[in-house]
Amino acid sequence: MDLFLQTLVSGLLIGGLYAIIGIGMTLIMGVLGIINLAHGQILMVAMYITWVLWQYAGIDPYLSIFLTIPIVFVFAEGLSKYLLHPLIEKESILPENQVLMTVGIGMVLVELARAIFTSDYRSVQTSYTDQSIHISNISLHVPLVIAFIIAIILTVGLFWMLIRTDLGRSIRATAQDKEAALLMGISATKITILTYGLGSALDAAAGSLLLPVYYLFPDVGPIFTVKAFVITILGGLGSTVGAIAGGLVLGIAETFGATYISMGYRDAVGLVIFLLVLVFFPGGLKRLTKI
Amino acid sequence: MRIRTFLIVVLSAALVFSFFSCGKKETGPIKIGVLLPLTGPQAKFGEMEKNSFELAREKINTAGGIDGRNLEFVYEDDTGKPDVGRSAMEKLISVNKVPMITGGYSSSVTFAAAAVAQQNRVPFLVCTGSVDKITQPEDFNLTTEDGDKFYIYRLNPPVSEYASGLEGLLAEVVKPKSVFILHENTTFGTKGAAAFKKSAEKLGIEVKGMESYSSGAVDFKPLLLNAKKTKPEMMYMVSYVMDAALLMKQARELNYKPNLFVGAGAGYTMPAFKENAGKASDRVLSATLWHQTLPIKGAKEYFEEYVAKYGGDGPDYHGAEAYAAATVVADVLKRAKGDYSSENLKKMLDQTDMMTVFGPVKFTAYGKKIHQNKMDTYVVQWQNGELKLIWPKELANAYFEYPINWSKIWAE
Repeated sequence: MDLFLQTLVSGLLIGGLYAIIGIGMTLIMGVLGIINLAHGQILMVAMYITWVLWQYAGIDPYLSIFLTIPIVFVFAEGLSKYLLHPLIEKESILPENQVLMTVGIGMVLVELARAIFTSDYRSVQTSYTDQSIHISNISLHVPLVIAFIIAIILTVGLFWMLIRTDLGRSIRATAQDKEAALLMGISATKITILTYGLGSALDAAAGSLLLPVYYLFPDVGPIFTVKAFVITILGGLGSTVGAIAGGLVLGIAETFGATYISMGYRDAVGLVIFLLVLVFFPGGLKRLTKI
Repeated sequence: MRIRTFLIVVLSAALVFSFFSCGKKETGPIKIGVLLPLTGPQAKFGEMEKNSFELAREKINTAGGIDGRNLEFVYEDDTGKPDVGRSAMEKLISVNKVPMITGGYSSSVTFAAAAVAQQNRVPFLVCTGSVDKITQPEDFNLTTEDGDKFYIYRLNPPVSEYASGLEGLLAEVVKPKSVFILHENTTFGTKGAAAFKKSAEKLGIEVKGMESYSSGAVDFKPLLLNAKKTKPEMMYMVSYVMDAALLMKQARELNYKPNLFVGAGAGYTMPAFKENAGKASDRVLSATLWHQTLPIKGAKEYFEEYVAKYGGDGPDYHGAEAYAAATVVADVLKRAKGDYSSENLKKMLDQTDMMTVFGPVKFTAYGKKIHQNKMDTYVVQWQNGELKLIWPKELANAYFEYPINWSKIWAE
């Protein structure tokens, strides 16, 4: 029983982190209509910013969220405005080419990181990185718990923004029907560029939250691009609620697979679920909800 | 008609170009291919090996090079993936036209690339890839009698022998009754774990379980909890460097204390392991193939020169392997006396019998293997942030404290 509970808790905590990575990708998917294959690499950039702030300025990884989010937001806005948007504008260019552009951006980011930071593995050591809370026989890893709480706060904030503010309504409108949104006086161009920044900013937050539990090197990105991709499909393309569910499902399924089947098949479990969803719920988990 | 004119122009241009490039071959540098993971998750290992190759090359060239010509290494990046390794090898052979190749880091990549070298009859001196089948001709559809048709040579011991030094320590000092084996699920990890299982059975140690994981995981706790449940006296782990660091960190978080944590080389001897695992790396044992304090001529000098040039904590056995491979290459080329064809270099490799910073190198045949360098292995332990040689006893430079008081060490 202890093992079962421990597995469930670990899965949930990891799932929370996955969810926030997935939401970023799904937002971009919803509005821009492309899979952002540079997602993991942007996460990597955020992790390096967090690491530099911790290493040279002594800023706590969690506090640095307040810096990484705006830095990555501005950076991603730039990418979106000068690299992605020109391609989206031209209708003669196939959406596949925009996706290829994100692949290119990803590769350049990785090599830049390698040029600046070399391939050394980095990690942060804070007073709490190695600490755990023990509740009866279940251990909760402190950094993961903090990450989970911050992830919830950010998600709630995002939902409030999407549902209550003008900007949020404009984003949802653009995602649902770009032309109708245009007719209603929403500048779809502005919203498209902004959403890429917003999705990347969430990704950046995930990067800062991930660093204390994981480690960092220039090629860390692809692992998480794949995870985000699976979550986006699991949740149903473009659905934020679906992405949360998808993240949690993936985290729990992986952890249970690792405990009860074999850790060697951890990734396989996630991908099998991915296939099952594609076959039996082609619309993803969002079909189960009304949002 | 147009196409034909076009073809004629292109072909004649190619012809002229090839004449042109043939003409100036005599005095230029001698190029030897090196296959390493320079990007991707294993880039850290690749970087250490490349640095060592370069260090050796500079030394060889300042000492007069090879018959007055400079030695040059052509690096190709295998990114840690077998398919990329194959095409990198093809490029070295058909585009760069190197007569001989060395390097080869991960087992899966090295084996895939070795098949290409074998097919093209270009000698491949493996310096790190350790799965046994790399030097077993039967895996290349040859027999052990076919030494003259087999183009793969290996300087490092195969993974099944990594733990031979450790066996001595376990049999004479620790005498554990049970072990749990964790390994990463590529060729290196799987074969390393299987080999240790055999040694454990030979020593009468009960194997409580054997579990695999895929490299790059965030959360190793399910695995560690499964191991903890079976209460083994020691853990044996085959991992690359950052998995190793996370495994030890999370074992500490779970407060999991078997009598011994033993790594199978690879990640556990890298300075990056200590840096990233921090306190949790202390008192972890590892099998190793080399240590700078071993009584091998040049070992200490190599270690110091490396630190002086590249800084940091200095190389572990991976660097020494690369440096040794470079010296073997230089030795082979010198003995080739101007005939740098693949066939002649292969003949020279067969006759190799020399001393390197990594130990003596001589390619012999035993068991199912041929062209394999036979070596001793050792046991090291992290003690207060330094990697100390603790076994065999007569070479050790530190005292092996046993049993280990984990509560005290992890609490500090």
